[in-house]
Amino acid sequence: MKKVLAIVLAAALALTTLAGCSGGSTGTAPASSSSTALTGEDGGAPTADQFEVTEPIEIEWWHAQESQYAETIDKVIADFEAQNPNIKVNAIYQGSYTELNEKLIAAQAAGNTLPALVVANTPYVAEYGASGLCEVLDPYIEATGFEIDDFGEGLVASTQYDGQQVALPFLISTQIMFYNKTMADEEGIKLPETWDEMDAFMEAASKDGRYATVFPGWDQWYFEPYYLNRGVKLVNDDQVSTDLDSDLAIETAQKLKEWCDKGYAYWAYGTDASSIMRQNFIDGKTFSVMHTTSLYNTYVDNCDFEVGMHYYPGDVTRDSEVGGCVLLIPAKNSQEVKNAGWKLLSYLCSKEVNMIWASESGYMPTRNSVLQTEEGEAFLAEKPAFKAVFDNLDNINPRIQHPAWSSFANIWKETMAKSILENGDIAADMKNAVTEMNEVLSDA
Amino acid sequence: MKTTAPANTSVSKPMAAEIPFNKPSKLKRMEQFKDLLCVIPALIFLVIFTYYPIVDLFRISFTDWNLIKDTYTYVGAKNWIWLFQGSGWDTFLQSLKVTALYTLGELTITLVGGILLALLFNRISKPFSAMRAIVFMPKYIAVSTSAIVFLWILNGESGILNYVLNKLGFESVAWTTSEKTALLSVLMLTAWRVVGYAMMIYLSAIRGISQDYYEAASLDGANGFQQFWRITVPLLSPTTLFLFVTTFIASMKVFQSVDVMTEGGPYGSTQVMVHWIYELAFKDFRVDRAAVVSCVFFIILVTFTAATLKWSNKSVNYDS
Repeated sequence: MKKVLAIVLAAALALTTLAGCSGGSTGTAPASSSSTALTGEDGGAPTADQFEVTEPIEIEWWHAQESQYAETIDKVIADFEAQNPNIKVNAIYQGSYTELNEKLIAAQAAGNTLPALVVANTPYVAEYGASGLCEVLDPYIEATGFEIDDFGEGLVASTQYDGQQVALPFLISTQIMFYNKTMADEEGIKLPETWDEMDAFMEAASKDGRYATVFPGWDQWYFEPYYLNRGVKLVNDDQVSTDLDSDLAIETAQKLKEWCDKGYAYWAYGTDASSIMRQNFIDGKTFSVMHTTSLYNTYVDNCDFEVGMHYYPGDVTRDSEVGGCVLLIPAKNSQEVKNAGWKLLSYLCSKEVNMIWASESGYMPTRNSVLQTEEGEAFLAEKPAFKAVFDNLDNINPRIQHPAWSSFANIWKETMAKSILENGDIAADMKNAVTEMNEVLSDA
Repeated sequence: MKTTAPANTSVSKPMAAEIPFNKPSKLKRMEQFKDLLCVIPALIFLVIFTYYPIVDLFRISFTDWNLIKDTYTYVGAKNWIWLFQGSGWDTFLQSLKVTALYTLGELTITLVGGILLALLFNRISKPFSAMRAIVFMPKYIAVSTSAIVFLWILNGESGILNYVLNKLGFESVAWTTSEKTALLSVLMLTAWRVVGYAMMIYLSAIRGISQDYYEAASLDGANGFQQFWRITVPLLSPTTLFLFVTTFIASMKVFQSVDVMTEGGPYGSTQVMVHWIYELAFKDFRVDRAAVVSCVFFIILVTFTAATLKWSNKSVNYDS
């Protein structure tokens, strides 16, 4: 009897798996509701009335802003609730962007515990957009007259997927070189404007065991602008190969390694590399560091010298990439929840709220209109170092969007770190890595 | 030549007929039904939260589901081919090697460290009780909290361990950022957490061994080591088996300490299996591939556990 039962169970298991082998057929994952196309009552474009919140509703906003921002969040939400008495907002801290991502996709799979509004780190936009997680915001923007054109072009593009607006820029940062302005003034150190000036800068800024700069090797986001600005295509137009084994890319990698080998810079790597790098800058052990603008306040508050910000040196181009987080509305929510979510989203992305965040953190003002206003001038008077960013708002581009980007980037940064830190042959290492990277890209 | 049926055949048939089949009484059947009712809630829980997900995992491994999309396509054995014949194989082997090394390390720490500490702390006095509590305490501190503290201790630039090493005349070590020492760093945290627990389990088992054995061995002239090796170790074998199986399964599933301390790096040197599965599912959005790796890993775990239990039936001494 036991044997028979075992055979039956095994057969059932086999049948389950065999059922899966029938290639080409499709299935449906659990879902609570689905996104429907938004149209007006007459079948045309939707009107603002359709997005009004007429009944009292309680919604959740999931965010990743740590305790130092709790007061700002409380203040912003209290103001929003005062302006929208029908909407009660529960702002819930869900941990880091990674933890928030886990919770969001688990809720998406379950289909019934999604928040009305959620922040997401910029690299997630492509995958969320491709998978239909996000509500398409174009009808909301059009119907309510939301001023999307006031954002920089790069910011708008970084929140789009396939030409559709699936999110809006919220707390935006970009790569920047923080430097010791006091030291620069005293020693007359000239900051590099171009890639060709980097050699002279490295030599001038490093002395007596002090580094000229630090390359944050724990995240390729920090060193990819050097490649992009020199014209290296990280993902080729065919979407299945990379240019990282081209002569130009190898030369760039060799130069980065050379600066580290000569002791001008070091390659920061590992889970605690960020905090060590920060401390080295605060202690004056390095003249500059490459980091995110969002840490401006942290550096200023901890350094006993004047902190300057310098835009990355350029070559063929002089661009940087968007970092930080965006806001999106999960498409599986009911229309009532989405409407309340949109109210909150448009409020949080408004110029006024953006300026509150910008002045209380290192995140950037995202609106072009701010730059020419008194508010903009007041902001620059308070944080003069941000001029380097203001001058380049239109040069901040979206991040690379590819389904295999995470695996691809991981191979790249691990190869760079191993080759630089363990004195490998970086040309050979990169060529080997590119074989694997191409496989990853074509396999996506 | 005439053949005859075995003599006992004719005897056995009437005997079998004489022994009636003992049908369970109504009362016994009621008792059995009551027992069944008691286990049904647990059984339902197991079916929903353990058995069904395992079966569903196999099904997902034949799809291209990424956990976010509402729809998916059955893609046949594509994901299995990726693992066994594609780019997944090298990472799988590397991850299996790291997991095996970690497991070996944790098993050694638990079994050897646990028994040695148990012998050391097998004293009945207040100071020893306090010390036992101190050694045991780390087990109940959250792994992530402990991992952050260990990151500070092992910090390559400002960690206290390197400070002590420098004072003793040694060079600083890049504990968590060198592929030579990263796994060791994770094992240091593991040792700190688990050895006290193993000590307590061994301690209670040691105290359960009758003193008669040691007295008899002493009379026969056995020294301390011989008594330990010939009496204590064999009689602790059920405890060792329990610790072996539970530690084996727990260490094969290690995740949190690796995630906080090294994130699987540097260069994959601490990329244990569960962390790789996590990265496939939540960083690369390849739940389909994560499902394949989970299935294979599940089979490996079940096979090892079954083999251990079978071996234990032959080798473990339950006579203490």
